[in-house]
Amino acid sequence: MKLDPVIRDQVLATVPSLRAFAISLCGNVDRADDLVQEALLRALAHIDSFQPGTNMPAWLFTILRNLFRSEYRKRRREVEDPDGRYAETLKSHPEQGGRVEFSEFRAALARLPSEQREALILVGASGFSYEDAAAICGCAVGTIKSRVNRARTRLADLLAIDSVDDFGPDRATRAVLARGGRG
Amino acid sequence: MMKTGKTTNLLPPAANENKAETRDAMGRPVNQRKNEVRLGREVQARIGQQLRAMYDNIVSQGVPQHLANLVRRLSDQDDGTT
Repeated sequence: MKLDPVIRDQVLATVPSLRAFAISLCGNVDRADDLVQEALLRALAHIDSFQPGTNMPAWLFTILRNLFRSEYRKRRREVEDPDGRYAETLKSHPEQGGRVEFSEFRAALARLPSEQREALILVGASGFSYEDAAAICGCAVGTIKSRVNRARTRLADLLAIDSVDDFGPDRATRAVLARGGRG
Repeated sequence: MMKTGKTTNLLPPAANENKAETRDAMGRPVNQRKNEVRLGREVQARIGQQLRAMYDNIVSQGVPQHLANLVRRLSDQDDGTT
């Protein structure tokens, strides 16, 4: 069966965002591209189960996310990062498109629990609704909201930009402004 | 007297999360938290910006050639079904 060009173009149009999601999940471009390739193979092999007119990005993200989770379970020890080594490798991967100013942010993101990280990225970067993100992750909308909130709080902690209790608002405000990087 | 900061690094971050309802960690009344709420929004806006900037940076790289080829090849091939 030849694929409807409209569907094919929808798949192609989703690839850049799918890849950004995969890189955020894996923290490694090569592994992420393998994951994207595997997800595309699977998606195209089961394209009949996609209902035209429904949300193609959500469908592809779900497939990729499920692949990642099953791989993650296999490689759990490798992926967990108690020593920050995984975070450290992120800093030295300029080909990820990571400019210097993102390195600290990437490292902090890498230290989030993976469920919080994926929820934050789906909602905060990919632009999915909480409902779509919940469908992609196979959990309740409230669970996604709570994961996103915890992710944001934890990121702020890791980046030490909500240190009001320790340093007072002025210093914290300056830290935020200093991060603006527009000057 | 200050304790050395070293040992606190070993504590899980969760240990700092339960703050008193009426007094914050420094013993200030909670109404001083108004500033923190405002600051919290700025912090979250900053996090959101960095997150999107990082993500969009990858999105702007487009579709890698090998993935584009893969999709075109698979969508053009006739596998015998109709």
